Amino acid sequence: MTTSQSSAPITMKPSGTRRRLGSSLIFLVTSLYFLIPLGATFYWSLRGQKDVLGFEAYRKLFADTNFLPSFSESIINAVATIALSLLIVVPTAYWVTLRLPKLRPVVEFITLLPFVIPAIVLVFGIIRLYSRPPLLLTATYDSSRILLICVYVALSFPYMFRSVDNGLRAIDVNTLTEAAQSLGADWSTILFKVIFPNLRAALLSGALLTFAIVIGELTIALYMAQHTLGPYMANLTRSKVYEPSAMAIVAFAITWAAMGIIDFVGRGSSRYLQTTDTD
Amino acid sequence: MSYLSISHVTKQFGETVVVDDFNLDIEKGEFVSFLGPSGCGKTTTLRMVAGFEIPTSGKIMLNNADITDKAPNQRNVGMIFQSYALFPNMTVAQNIGFGLRVRKESEEVIKKRVEEMISLINLEKHINKYPYQLSGGQQQRVSLARALAFRPQVLLLDEPLSALDAKIRVSLRAEIRSIQKSLGITAIFVTHDQEEALSISDRIVVMNVGVMEQVGTPFEIYNFPKTQFVANFVGSLNTAIAEVTDPAQGLLSLDGVQLVSAEKMDNLRKGDKVRIAIRPERLSFASEQKKANVLDCTIENITFLGSVVRIQVKIGNTKFNMDTFNNPFLELPHIGSVDQVTCSKEAVLTLGSA
Repeated sequence: MTTSQSSAPITMKPSGTRRRLGSSLIFLVTSLYFLIPLGATFYWSLRGQKDVLGFEAYRKLFADTNFLPSFSESIINAVATIALSLLIVVPTAYWVTLRLPKLRPVVEFITLLPFVIPAIVLVFGIIRLYSRPPLLLTATYDSSRILLICVYVALSFPYMFRSVDNGLRAIDVNTLTEAAQSLGADWSTILFKVIFPNLRAALLSGALLTFAIVIGELTIALYMAQHTLGPYMANLTRSKVYEPSAMAIVAFAITWAAMGIIDFVGRGSSRYLQTTDTD
Repeated sequence: MSYLSISHVTKQFGETVVVDDFNLDIEKGEFVSFLGPSGCGKTTTLRMVAGFEIPTSGKIMLNNADITDKAPNQRNVGMIFQSYALFPNMTVAQNIGFGLRVRKESEEVIKKRVEEMISLINLEKHINKYPYQLSGGQQQRVSLARALAFRPQVLLLDEPLSALDAKIRVSLRAEIRSIQKSLGITAIFVTHDQEEALSISDRIVVMNVGVMEQVGTPFEIYNFPKTQFVANFVGSLNTAIAEVTDPAQGLLSLDGVQLVSAEKMDNLRKGDKVRIAIRPERLSFASEQKKANVLDCTIENITFLGSVVRIQVKIGNTKFNMDTFNNPFLELPHIGSVDQVTCSKEAVLTLGSA
């Protein structure tokens, strides 16, 4: 005689402790993945002096007469790029959201083009186009620099447009605009007093991403013979041992500082974009 | 001439006519509601008065000035939105003072007016709070204060209570009406809620598919609907098809049951089919008091609605609802029992040929 015993299917649910342990393990592995190379780079940068751990490589880096000019040139380029990009992207994204929502896919596609076209193709195309009349812009260093900033503006579009677009989606642009209009506001008042302040975090996010791209950009600056930080770093890697690591740590610190600012300002502005109950 | 005049206004989006030949004159200090279902054109009409839409044809005059093509920021018209539309980056005081600041009023004037408005809406303790720190009802009161602060010629309210819960809606609509009356401001209120429109308005414009169905006081709209749409949309209503048996006497036959109506039937002849309507509250049990119409019926269903008890009765082959006030000491009839209901001849409305 055989007996059959029916039993309910057993489902294995991880306990709270096991889940926490799993999460901690993933966090640990991920952290190590980022921190080990960073730590190794930092450690290497401290070995600038034989048998002594110290900041000799950093001292040499900042003492290099080419470092600060190329660094400041990159910063000025980045600020100009951000200003120009904001001037183009914010009104465009605002108008598309407000009046031309059907054009959004077209604008999104255009802003994504810098992702599709490799930088090397882009730079040769630009040099060919702007090296002959009537658009001769590569004749002098300064005109090339203006051209470089314009190219950076185009490179910033994917980041800037997405940041601004996300910011615009987080607020009811149409109703806020109409409310301001009904209160007597003109377009500039609406943009500067109502829309911009509510996009603060989005604008900053786009601006800092743009800053990060411009600061480290190499290919285009190199082929356009510009003395910015990218070519300087490439040159440094070829000629020095410890300073490139010190440079990498400095660049990393700047990026983290930028992220910290985004987070800090973002917290401030998302605070008043919270929703409330209906009662 | 009236204070706000909307003359022959039509609005088309492509081939679709959203508002068709809208005509309305509104007096200064009047509170008018646009009532209708979604897509009837009430909000589009309001937006044309605000300047957010330009009429395809027609004219809008405000205080003898043609504002048809004026930009919204040049109209001096205040607007309240369903979603409050408070500026998230500004405090309550900054929101209320925005319209005055735009008009370059002095800081002294702005401060004084903001304080006036804050006390009008009883939010003195919240003056420095941001919108996210307020409840929905409080936000809408701030929105009202903001729209009134710059003393607009007309106040437009686009379903301002729709996002609020039932209790707040009732108290806030009373507050809106009281403030509107105390300031004597002309107001247009858009709603799809008939109770809201009936309780708050001097006049109601009932709209359907872009057309004005009826304009009248809440009393006229409810008691004397001119079209079947108005009769059906405003309040609950029993409708049925009856046959005219004697137009001169107002006699009708409903499934062989004789009814008498006070309505004129000059254009009807004996044998014509006509749609009749009776409000549920106009019917009562004949045992209480007999009126012009006494009708045999069967009790079909009883529904308890709180303050009202809705009794469904069958007269001939037609089911009618009868509303009676709830009385805990009143004995309700049994389902399936036979009884008699009664109504006056004025209660039997005719809504045209069927």
